[in-house]
Formats: sequence, C-alpha cells, structure tokens
Amino acid sequence: MTNSFAYPDDREERNAARVRALEAMLINKGVITDSTVDRVIGYFESEMTPLNGQKIVARAWTDPDFAQLLLQDAPAAIAQLDLPVGMAGVQGEHLAAVMNEPGVHNLVICTMCSCFPLPVLGLPPYWYKDPAFRARAARQPRTVLAELGLQLDEDTELRVWDSSGHSRWFVIPSRPADTDGWTEEQLAELVTTESMIGVALANSPSNIAR
Amino acid sequence: MKLPHLIGGLEGLDEVPLEYEKRVFVAEWEKRIFGIHHALLALSSTLRNSLPGYDVDSLQTSFRGQWTAAHLRQRMEAVDPISYFQFRFYEKWLSVIMEYLIEQECIDGDGLASAVERFTKDPDRPLPPRPDQEIDDHVIRYLRQGDSPRRGPATPIFATGERVEIRNPPMGDHTRLPGYLRGQVGVVERIFEGNYAYPISTGADGLGVPMPVYLVRFERSELWGKDVEPLAEPLFAELYETYLLKTTWKDRGDDE
Repeated sequence: MTNSFAYPDDREERNAARVRALEAMLINKGVITDSTVDRVIGYFESEMTPLNGQKIVARAWTDPDFAQLLLQDAPAAIAQLDLPVGMAGVQGEHLAAVMNEPGVHNLVICTMCSCFPLPVLGLPPYWYKDPAFRARAARQPRTVLAELGLQLDEDTELRVWDSSGHSRWFVIPSRPADTDGWTEEQLAELVTTESMIGVALANSPSNIAR
Repeated sequence: MKLPHLIGGLEGLDEVPLEYEKRVFVAEWEKRIFGIHHALLALSSTLRNSLPGYDVDSLQTSFRGQWTAAHLRQRMEAVDPISYFQFRFYEKWLSVIMEYLIEQECIDGDGLASAVERFTKDPDRPLPPRPDQEIDDHVIRYLRQGDSPRRGPATPIFATGERVEIRNPPMGDHTRLPGYLRGQVGVVERIFEGNYAYPISTGADGLGVPMPVYLVRFERSELWGKDVEPLAEPLFAELYETYLLKTTWKDRGDDE
C-alpha cells in the first residue's frame, strides 16, 4: 500500500530549500537571529542527550534509595545528579520513571503524537514517531516487541504507558546479569535509548565490546 | 474525527514491516525545522503567563503569535490522513509551521515561494546576517526552564481505586483523549499532584482551565478483546479530569 505513494525525485533537495527559505525569511522579518536555530540544535545535540538517561539509570542500579525516589518523584531524584542545567526544561517539566523488575516489563508509547522526555533521552528516534508503530504498540505490544527483537516470556507482565497527559515517561531497564562490581560509568554504557523506552533490554556485558 | 486521535489501535498495519529507524534525524535539513519550532516556542506570547517568568515583550522579535506544543499538535492532527502516513515526521512539521506563519502574516506566502526557488537553485546561498545575543540567550533560557502547565493544588473529584468511565466528547480540532479509550472503563491508579492547564482551549473537548490529571489503568483484554493478545495486562493513560465520568459499572470483566 505504501508503494502507492508518489514522492517527487527532488524530495530532500526541495525540503532543504523550503526550510532554508523559511529560516532566511524569519531572520529577514526580525523573528529570530542568524544563529538562533544553530543555538537550539547545539543545545540539544550537546547537552540534552541519552547520556543523561544512561547516568540516571546507572545510578538507579547502584543506589536503591535513589531508585525509590526516582519512581516517586523523578524530578527530585534527577536534581541530585550532576547533569546539565535543563533537566526540568522543555519536555522535562514533569518527568516520570517506571522500572522494570523480575516479572514486569514497561513500554512507553505516545499514540497521538510523540511526547518524549527530551532532557533524559534526547530527541525521539524515528521508529517511536512512526504511525504504524504507534497504532500497533497500543493494541498488540507483545507482537510488536517480538518483531523488534524482544521476546517477553508469558510470566512477565507487559505494562504499556500511553503518554497522553503532562508527564514524560521513561523506563529504568533491569540491570543486566554479570555486572557485579561495575562502576556507574561502566554500567551507563549498557543503557540504550531503546531500553529506556522499553522496546529492548539493556545490553548485556557479552554484547558490547569491552 | 482526525486520524491522529484514532491512531492507537488502528488495524491493517500488521503486514507493513516496522521501520526500526533509530536515527533522530534522517536528513540534515530536518534539524533546521526542529530548531525553528523550538525558537517559536521560546518566542510565543503565551510565555507571558509562564511560571519561570519570561519577558517576551521586551525581546527585539517581530513574532507576536502564540505557538506551543498544543498548537503544533493541533495542526499536525489536521494533516489529511494520506499525507499523515505518506510524509515523514519533520516533513509534516515543516508544512504545518510554514502554513501557520503564513496564516499569521508573520511571513508572506509569495515571498516564501520565491525564496524557496532561490534556495533550490543555490542551496549554499548564505543566510542573511542578523545578530541579537539577547534573543538567542532567551531561547536557551526557555529551553532550560521550560513551561510547566501546573497551576495550583489538585482538586480531584475522583479517588484512587475508583472505577471511571471515559467520556466521548465531540471530536474537535484537538484532544488529548486517545480515541481507543472513549467509552471504556478504567480504574484510577494515581492522582497527580497539582492541577494542570493546557495551552489552548479545546472547546467542547474540555481542556484549557487547570484541572486534575489521573493515571488510569485499563485492561488491554477489555480494550481490544482477548483474541488480540490473551494475557491479562494493563495499559495506563494519563487523563485530564474532564475526560472522566462517575460510573455505575462494576466488574465488567466478570460478566464476560
């Protein structure tokens, strides 16, 4: 069916020209400056990245009190960490965490748009915004997870969170086995964006190069 | 009825392989519209009422419009269903933001069209110079401090553990009530602290004035039927109080 869609051959060039023209007009009209867009991009690319979420998860894995606070009051817990200023900024005003544990797996979705905890996870990957994913993940999340490579056993309860209100949810994945004695820095490297949304587990020590 | 309100649970997509594209931008130009959107958020006159206290009126910007995540969502929801599936996320952003700025007479449609032609012929054409440190610093400050919709203490009329029926208000231009929950019955799992405003009024849909927000638990076997995925598992949604009704329904699951 998607094959019936026709796209112009110069789709990307055209879009690039459209956005460039728009930016130039906004500068000419005195709406923004010649560096505003670069400053915004730079802010998200350098400070609001999944590295923040990785550090939060690693701390939750090593500090049970922190993990408890993170579940009860995520902003208060996150404020304890040495993270960039802005964790409670745009799309982080009301962060909320859910935790995987033996017998429980969580999946965060946004069926109506693409709500995402930007300060914790950076920008949403494309698959998260895909209408087909959003449609199917609400109705048949186990099937969708299996297609994305995560087979949940039947004893594990799959909890789905549709981000329809003010909170921006993220998942604390389970700590992988064979990581006893690891430092937070080492643990953080096991945490992927996908695992903090719930379509994957955190990496195990054996599947990352050490 | 708008497609994005009804996306959750939409059938017929099982045969289309999921695109597991992990990149956040798939073309360089997408970053620019992402940046423009966030700049407009930061310059929106709605920030006059924001809790961090932004003095948007003192900025040397000609933008005096209202632009929030709600405005973007409302326009994204107005995209026709075929285009909604056909075009990538940021292609839709680009189209709806252009449309908005032209409607606002912030930019001129014909002028934009000629500028597009110029940049098509000469993609490396430089942007016009216009420095203003104050605007850029304000934009970054906005990104760091955000715009919380929380207003006043919570005034809930429902209790944790209470069974609630989900309303089915007329579907207008914009809603935060997923279509698949309309008419369903759930249980209040949690009441959030504080009341929450919404950046725009959604009319008969009911959002705008500060109100409580609830985390409501639904059973997926009730939403979709037991044949879809047979295990008894929950789906949680955050719902504004206007979407909830007292219900006399007791244990629907036991009657099946």
